[in-house]
Amino acid sequence: MDKIVAEEKMAQLEWYIAKHCLWQYNSRGWDRLVQNERILTKTKKLLCGENAKEDDTTPDRYYWSEAMSLSSAFKRYFPWVEQTSKEDIAQILQLLKDRLDYTMVTGSLNQELTKQQY
Amino acid sequence: MPFHEFKVSKCIPERLHHAVDKGEGESLTDALPLGYLNTIPGSISERGCAYCGAKHVIGTPMKDVIHLSHGPVGCTYDTWQTKRYISDDGNFQLKYTFASDMKEAHVVFGAEKMLKKNIVEAFKAFPQINSMALYQTCASALIGDDMNAIAEEVMQDLPGKKIFVCNSPGFAGPSQSGGHHKINLAWLSQMVGTAEPEIYSKHVINYVGEYNIQGDQEVMKDYFHRMGIQILATFTGNGRFDDLRCLHRAQLNVLECARSAEYICDELRVKYGIPRMDIDGFGFEAISDSLMKIGYFFGIEDKARQIIEEETARWKPELDWYAARLQGIRMCLWPGGSKLWHWSHMLKKEMGINVVSVYTKFGHQGDMEKGISRCEEGTLAIDDPNELETVEAMYDLKPDLIMTGKRPGEVAKKIRVPYLNVHGYHNGPYKGYEGWVRLARDIYNCVYSPAHQLVHLDISKDEIPTDKGFVTRESLSDSTLSDEIKNSTTLRQCTSDYDPIPALRKKADDNLYLFPDPQTGVLRTVPVEKLRKNKVVDND
Repeated sequence: MDKIVAEEKMAQLEWYIAKHCLWQYNSRGWDRLVQNERILTKTKKLLCGENAKEDDTTPDRYYWSEAMSLSSAFKRYFPWVEQTSKEDIAQILQLLKDRLDYTMVTGSLNQELTKQQY
Repeated sequence: MPFHEFKVSKCIPERLHHAVDKGEGESLTDALPLGYLNTIPGSISERGCAYCGAKHVIGTPMKDVIHLSHGPVGCTYDTWQTKRYISDDGNFQLKYTFASDMKEAHVVFGAEKMLKKNIVEAFKAFPQINSMALYQTCASALIGDDMNAIAEEVMQDLPGKKIFVCNSPGFAGPSQSGGHHKINLAWLSQMVGTAEPEIYSKHVINYVGEYNIQGDQEVMKDYFHRMGIQILATFTGNGRFDDLRCLHRAQLNVLECARSAEYICDELRVKYGIPRMDIDGFGFEAISDSLMKIGYFFGIEDKARQIIEEETARWKPELDWYAARLQGIRMCLWPGGSKLWHWSHMLKKEMGINVVSVYTKFGHQGDMEKGISRCEEGTLAIDDPNELETVEAMYDLKPDLIMTGKRPGEVAKKIRVPYLNVHGYHNGPYKGYEGWVRLARDIYNCVYSPAHQLVHLDISKDEIPTDKGFVTRESLSDSTLSDEIKNSTTLRQCTSDYDPIPALRKKADDNLYLFPDPQTGVLRTVPVEKLRKNKVVDND
């Protein structure tokens, strides 16, 4: 997929997350990176029709639940999601993760993110 | 996203970095207000203190507890009954408040003996209560009274009585938020893991950061119980002392107000491996998404879906009646710390309300990230405003109403802006589907109040119209509506009971909930006594 088109689609998904989700706001930067990675990886797998469950531990079930919620919302809000190839979904979701890592962590102005304690 | 400079605060240049206007095409990386910093000298803000945040917000909603402040009576009086965190067993926590009543002589000579005497006296006065939360204040902290030692002595003298000590004096942080943090960690370190609960369902959660304002917790409890989920403990609204000692046994922490209670969730995640799931309990879409997420976690999506369908069918026509009449209303959403992000996007999407400003008194930068992300472009976001700034903002933004607490609310009324109390609520509960309709109704009644229209006339100078007759809310709100909406047979006004909570309690009494057995998964009812007061055994 053309990068500009992929970025436009990524921006739509980012808008949804900014408006509706809370999992990306954990109070420490390292925690946000973990959340982004786990939830968006599983979301990508779900959108690509792949198994997104790693085990039946409660942490994995949590990440999977967030991903289930997110992937179904993406399909509901953006009909193009279901008509997009696996390769393109993977590309868009990678852009999305990079973008969230930037806005929520590396480019964030939130001074609490680097505190050591919770 | 440019910083917003208030004219009234030009003389306090540090304030510049505490307010931004959300600009078009800009992101959180362009500007973010500072937050959770000491109030700047010269700026009289609306914050509470760390003692208040610990006791008033988080401690006192616990219902079967003597809440005793070790300090002057003023500390406890001023934090008593200022929120309507009710309980389902008689409101002991609202009816009674306790202070050791420190005086000058105690400051000079110490107050430990007096404290011990008062603790014993309080337990004797209320023999049915076996637990106490003891709160440090500025006075007792400064003289160094050893409250933990006194508590230990009393627990040895009075077997069966338990005392939790919260060392969070008023000065221990920039705002009440410092107290939230302290009591979270104190509860975790002193109380969690000291007892074991009876598990009666396959699905077990803690409901965290929920304070049962006018029954919010009981609304959500109904949903969770309809899904067959056992709420091990609620931190802390309508919560029992012993249940809260068992937080370590849940499979999932469902977190509502992250501002006040994310700390204990994060620690429970690290210490016991319990995941933290942040949810929104306000707004039809947000609640539905939240119930579905919990449903996915336990593999009971069908139960969640059933509730969503039933509640939406019951209440959506009423929400839409108000939404048709609230389109374009301008609102300043000025709550304490979390409702700016719980509500701003849902008010826009489901009621058509334009949130023109959000503020937080004690929020951190993370709350501003959420709030700014969820509000629309052009919104003014303010951290820890002073009173003059809020007045300037109201004159500039010309909101139709503000939703805030009673202190800034009274200021708003003086400049003829109506306000709704979103701390203690006007006519809550506001949580859940029915609650969201109740909020829409209260906003409607506030904005279109015929009595309020009169305040816009200044009898000292304005000409008083004599050609206008009697008006009603509907004659004001419906003047520009289409006939299709006005005459709709599907839309209707709120039909919620004056107080919807008794009906929910009756459902529990009637034992209408089915829970899956932890081992077999077979659905069965659970004795009402267990739902009211779960069995808890002390760990040795």
